[in-house]
Amino acid sequence: MQSLSRQFVLFMTVALGATCCGCRGHDEYPNGPIVLVCPWAAGGGTDRTAREVAVLLEQELGVPVNVVNATGGAGVTGHTRGALARPDGYTITMVTVEINMLHWRGLTNISYHDYDPVGMLNRDATAVFVLPDAPWKNPGDLERSIRDNPGKVRASGTAQGGSWHLGFAGWLNHEGIDPGDAIWVSINGSAPSLQELIAGGVDVACCSLPEAQALLDAGRIRCLGVMADQRVEQYPDVPTFKEQGVDWSFTAWRGICLPNGCPAEVRDHLAVALENVAQSQEFRGFMSHAGFDVTWQPPDEFAATMASVDKQLGELLTSKAMQSMRRARFGPMLFPGVLAVVGGACLLGLVVSGQLRRTADTASLSLRDLGRLAEIVVWVVVYLIFAETAGFLLTAGVLLALLLIRLGNRWFASVAISLAVVAVTYELFAVVLKVPLPRGWLGW
Amino acid sequence: MREAVLQALSGVLTDPQVLLIIVVAAAYGIFMGAVPGLTATMAIALFVPVTFFLDPIPALAAVVTLEACAIFAGDIPNALLRIPGTPSSAAYADDAYALTRAGRSSEALGICLTFSVAGGLFGTVVLMLFAPQLANVATWFTVAEYFWLYLLGLSCAVIVSRGSMLKAAFALIIGLLLSTVGLSAVHTQARFTFGQAELFQGINFIPAMIGLFGVSEVFRNVLTYDAAATAAQVAPSDVKPSKFSVWQRFTRSVSSVFEASLPFLWARKWHTLRSGAIGSMVGMLPGAGADIGAWVSLAASKRFSKNPEEYGRGSAEGISDATSANSASLAGAWVPALVFGIPGDSVTAIVIGVLLMKDIKPGPEIFEKQAALVYSIFLIFFLANLVLIPVGFLAIKAGGYVVKIPRRVLLPVILLFCVIGSYAINGSYFDIGIMLVMGVLGFILERREIPLGPVVLGIILGGPLEERFIQTLSSSGSGWEAFFSRPMAAALGAAAILVWVAPIVIRLARAVRSPNTK
Repeated sequence: MQSLSRQFVLFMTVALGATCCGCRGHDEYPNGPIVLVCPWAAGGGTDRTAREVAVLLEQELGVPVNVVNATGGAGVTGHTRGALARPDGYTITMVTVEINMLHWRGLTNISYHDYDPVGMLNRDATAVFVLPDAPWKNPGDLERSIRDNPGKVRASGTAQGGSWHLGFAGWLNHEGIDPGDAIWVSINGSAPSLQELIAGGVDVACCSLPEAQALLDAGRIRCLGVMADQRVEQYPDVPTFKEQGVDWSFTAWRGICLPNGCPAEVRDHLAVALENVAQSQEFRGFMSHAGFDVTWQPPDEFAATMASVDKQLGELLTSKAMQSMRRARFGPMLFPGVLAVVGGACLLGLVVSGQLRRTADTASLSLRDLGRLAEIVVWVVVYLIFAETAGFLLTAGVLLALLLIRLGNRWFASVAISLAVVAVTYELFAVVLKVPLPRGWLGW
Repeated sequence: MREAVLQALSGVLTDPQVLLIIVVAAAYGIFMGAVPGLTATMAIALFVPVTFFLDPIPALAAVVTLEACAIFAGDIPNALLRIPGTPSSAAYADDAYALTRAGRSSEALGICLTFSVAGGLFGTVVLMLFAPQLANVATWFTVAEYFWLYLLGLSCAVIVSRGSMLKAAFALIIGLLLSTVGLSAVHTQARFTFGQAELFQGINFIPAMIGLFGVSEVFRNVLTYDAAATAAQVAPSDVKPSKFSVWQRFTRSVSSVFEASLPFLWARKWHTLRSGAIGSMVGMLPGAGADIGAWVSLAASKRFSKNPEEYGRGSAEGISDATSANSASLAGAWVPALVFGIPGDSVTAIVIGVLLMKDIKPGPEIFEKQAALVYSIFLIFFLANLVLIPVGFLAIKAGGYVVKIPRRVLLPVILLFCVIGSYAINGSYFDIGIMLVMGVLGFILERREIPLGPVVLGIILGGPLEERFIQTLSSSGSGWEAFFSRPMAAALGAAAILVWVAPIVIRLARAVRSPNTK
């Protein structure tokens, strides 16, 4: 054991030395890895764009740019994380049009005011899809159908209140129809919505053209029109709503933002790098392959776009018709309510049949046992509190060494093991795999 | 067609870059799968930027190999430490760990490896033979069918648990209730968040799973541990390898992994076909992946087994059927992805992105226009499963050292990895807190002999189940009849209800027939 420990000490010295070489040395921005927060799930359009931007931005800035998918909460999670991040330029966010909706719907206090825009990258228009044998030939047909038979047409494309829903509901509202006259089935994501369309579960699906490309090309679905001002470059055959006599357009946008309070020179540095990315041949090639449009807007213009879209969506979301739609017939407490009843019945059954009593071979917990358990909990909580400020290497090393000593290892061995394990883990996770670890004020 | 096959063969087999990438991706996938908290999806998402610089075939080779190896590797910590490396392994955590505690870890992992490869190869054959025809399965499924499918998957988790079904049902409800925390996906309204911004995203199942299985195990061990003991008894044959020559040692270690599992595979060939078929079918459905495949297959296995009482206590039958199903489901998920561009799971969602980036458009015509590419994908699936044999064997051997580490050293290191894994998935400290709370919950539930598997599955499937429930209700004008209005939905619904009602009816019938015996 003793000689083994010596080997460990030697090993950890080398490993630690290697690790420290990667630390931040000088003060000029950027000199450390940048986190790019993506508020949507891996594999989606926003994620794919974010990952392409990360690779190209990495070449521009000369430091690693890592994408972190902070998903959930219809975009609240990622947008909140990005806006509340430390304003040092090392956390940037792929902000999407949802930032202009979430606050109007009372889901979060975060709005576009909490972000310092760097540049807009693309805009995608809502398109309306139906099955090939559907009776509607153009948006007008569909509109009449909804007007004449309220509550019959079922549509989907995203969750209740998502961007494609607003495009669809906004169109009906614009035409003077109560958006509630079409049933919106709240399905998260365009891919499952399109599946629901071809399976016959809904009659209409709304999403962007690239998201529906495979099914469209295969002739499994038909497009009635796209809510854009001009035809989309990659889809010259798809008519716009405007051409078909409907004066309505609705586009979703994506862009890169910093949290408020970053130094101006950091923002400018990033804006220049991002513009190079957006104008690059590689980025344009990628976006056109993926079917996305590239619309570059510098910080000021981007800020103006966000403000105007926010105003448009605010008017729509606070309108009477939309307000009344938000009262769902099957409320958010229905499912937990059913569960609570069933769970209560199970618990009652368990108590009555005496199955909750401890069995003979489970020893009762002594005060000392409880102390041991509490100690572990306390150590992990200590890690939670200090990791962000002190960084991974220090906190994890101390935590591991203390636990080892408390479990009866000699202190020398404990320190050696923890130094080796922590250094190797850091090297593997943060350096090789680029998985996030707490960075702290030392940068590691 | 022959031309395309030849082109695929020469493109894959004679390209050293492809073969090299398969080996490297296998090692990377094994590592990512074996560390709890790093999932197959994450491994591939992290790998995507690299694919920008690769040709389509090497890029797809890497993704397929990564996926196949990561799903097997999830079995390694699952068997050795009872911490599922990926959610797909959670179904048989108790069985595999029970074998390790009995000193049979090599055998358990040998079974996992052999049947993973068998399942993976079966799934590949299904993909090859039926991809275009089977893609239509996905088009039968509306939200109502999915609701019943998810309910069926959850019911299976209750059936396979050892001990009281009531306890398993209670565990499931706990998991489902935990899944309702946060923003309801279908209503986009917050519930049970108590004003905490972090709770908006709900309880992430990765830290929850690490807490329930990993941390609770650390707690349990800390109470019962003896400073000198190792994590498991070392099998006698492993004790003195130094007496033998290098070759003998090698053959002995190979036989310790495969000597039990290969005859076992032959003995259970029909069961494996059934499990592979279940896995492929479940994998083909968007939104139902390897984890549900494993649970459903395990339930079917227990239902038709001659030794159902062994399940949950170290049943090799259960492990083999579940692990072959989760591997078979991987290839299944590619069917709707290739044919419709609809991802079968989160991995194929990324794959579609990679394909589009390479200017390859998924769709029915991919089989005509890009035939060589499609045959290459089939071939890569075969190679990935074959390369898994040696790489997986090495991983099992490396894992074997883990159980020999003294517990007083192992426990703190496991705890540290639990903490890192919980943080890594989202970079969130809150997730470490969730892991800790779930660890305490898991410890308490274990002491009352309430199984943990259904809790995890409840957390994973609670969200989708509720979504489909509300969607089905709201898509029909008036409500409940939508659950049975389509023939497919009615059939699945009947199956799901039968699963619950049948045991109760059987028990009642027995009680009526023999009122005197208890």
